[in-house]
Amino acid sequence: MTNARMWLVVKPTVGIPLFLSAVAVGSFAMHVAVLGNTSWVADFLSGKKLGSGTASAELILDQDQAAKAAYVLPSGSQEVLIRMPDGTTARAILQMPEAMASLNQVFRARAHPGPRAVTSLRKARLSSGGRVLPVCGAGCRTRHAVLRKGPSPMFDCKRFALGRIASFGTRYMPFADVASEAVPLARLLRLSLFQMTVGMALVLMVGTLNRVMTAELKVPATLLAAMLALPLVFAPFRALIGFRSDAFRSALGLRRLPCIWKGTMLQFGGFAIMPFALLVLSGYGEAIDAPRWLGLSAAALAFLLVGAGVHMVQTVGLALAMDLVPVVDQPKVVGLMYVMLPVGMIISAFAYGALLETYTPGRLIQVIQGSAVVTIAVNGCAMWKQEARNRSRATAPPPDVGFLEAWARLAARRGMIRLLAVIGLGTAGFGMAGVLLEPFGGQVLAMTVAQTTRLTVVLAFGSLIGFGHASRWLGRGGRPMDVVCLGAGIGMPAFGLVLASALVLSAPVLVGATLMAGFGAGLFGHGTLTATMRAAPREQIGLSLGAWGAVQATAAGLAIAVGGVIRDVVLAAPLAGATPASPCVPVFCA
Amino acid sequence: MSNDPDRVWPAGLNLREAEKVRSCLIDGTRVFGVIALIAHLLVAVSTPWLG
Repeated sequence: MTNARMWLVVKPTVGIPLFLSAVAVGSFAMHVAVLGNTSWVADFLSGKKLGSGTASAELILDQDQAAKAAYVLPSGSQEVLIRMPDGTTARAILQMPEAMASLNQVFRARAHPGPRAVTSLRKARLSSGGRVLPVCGAGCRTRHAVLRKGPSPMFDCKRFALGRIASFGTRYMPFADVASEAVPLARLLRLSLFQMTVGMALVLMVGTLNRVMTAELKVPATLLAAMLALPLVFAPFRALIGFRSDAFRSALGLRRLPCIWKGTMLQFGGFAIMPFALLVLSGYGEAIDAPRWLGLSAAALAFLLVGAGVHMVQTVGLALAMDLVPVVDQPKVVGLMYVMLPVGMIISAFAYGALLETYTPGRLIQVIQGSAVVTIAVNGCAMWKQEARNRSRATAPPPDVGFLEAWARLAARRGMIRLLAVIGLGTAGFGMAGVLLEPFGGQVLAMTVAQTTRLTVVLAFGSLIGFGHASRWLGRGGRPMDVVCLGAGIGMPAFGLVLASALVLSAPVLVGATLMAGFGAGLFGHGTLTATMRAAPREQIGLSLGAWGAVQATAAGLAIAVGGVIRDVVLAAPLAGATPASPCVPVFCA
Repeated sequence: MSNDPDRVWPAGLNLREAEKVRSCLIDGTRVFGVIALIAHLLVAVSTPWLG
């Protein structure tokens, strides 16, 4: 109690970031110091056999056989050829230290003006497009300011571009009309960053780690599938998470932010131990003698933590977004939030692809633990001052309704069970067919890997268009169930078109059908989410969003598994007149 | 210092809220410590660190 009094005089908005920064800087500095004084880290990070790099170089230098030579460099730099003891050659560049100090000459020239100074200044002006670079030392700041104040002869591209964007209006800029004076667009966009970290986690687990564990770490396929399916274990608990965030009574009067923070910590924890867990699981390096259970349990814990964190952050973050805006604007905000998910997935997919282009165990550790830091930083930015403290909520008595009773009340509302069944069946249909699109394109239409990968991008792009249109229609007063029916109505012929593309052997038809399917899925997802929210009272919005997420995520996960099983069963069955498209027909027809 | 639980102090918190902030920090540190412990254990198993 005495220690707690510190927070009576130190503002938490100052003290907590200071505390966290001190921990981060201290631990980072200590790790840098430890790693800088060990000989095996460089070899480990580059994937070499321990002792083959730095340690072996030190071994040669310690002996008397190390070559010594003296050489007088005439001027500038010179390339020399070195013949190694084993007959191989190496090239080295000898360079005078003065050659690297050309920038310093500019400083000296300013201190002693003369013909050389004028030349340097003219060069600087040319290289900076008419402005004097602020590297000229004393006296330069004044000149720099004077030049900026004068009329610029250049065309002001920035002002022109901003003017054009502003004149574009809300008609063509998606979600610009969601902003209000109370909740500006910048605040909503900042909040939607949590969806980007969710997208990042999904890409990392389902895409990047799927490939790395299979190809580089040689983890058995069954074990890999089990690990990747673990986050789905938490999907049904989304309803409970939503309910807990509805009923949460913090002494600070917050109810959503503590839950999002806990979810973020779970994600962070999972990512923090994941790379080492995977290395131990695959028996890399020293872990070859480690007990099997250690790698299995550590990897399972890592995937469970990330999965639980993702479900928690997404469910409660969406509920917080709904709290911020009036009911009439909720469909637009749902659209904005769900557009940011694929946006985050696309950005992180490109980033992971670039970062892991040359795989090493060290790079895997850096990428996954970097994701942990990015998750904390981005979610912290998304949460910052998004929920106001409410003392009356903090002192209010806790609700006397438990989860089961609240769930029973929600389920008793007219049409709710039917709606959840529609969500489950529809999501399963879209998910089951979606997961077979790439194999279908490859096996039936002989598309390349790059072409089938683009099919997934087309599907995601169609979903984005669907979310955007659904937001617009629902924002103008459209009925959610009409949007749901429209989505299903577009999805069914789209999958019919997919089958038709096999008959005419046309890749463009398949691409068009994929775009249609994505559009239908976007409409269906947005419509069902809005319908679920509107079917529940405002104080139960977390529970209703959790119910939607639980049914949707569980159905999507099961559908992917069932789609694969159906395809494998049909492939294994010796059917007369079977074609490459046969395994996919029952799935697309379903 | 005053023991009035409802008094709002310069940081904008009352005593109950300050205790909540402290308990959150302690819980967070414990969770972070457990995560760090597991991560260091796995590093010790998979690398020559600690011999």
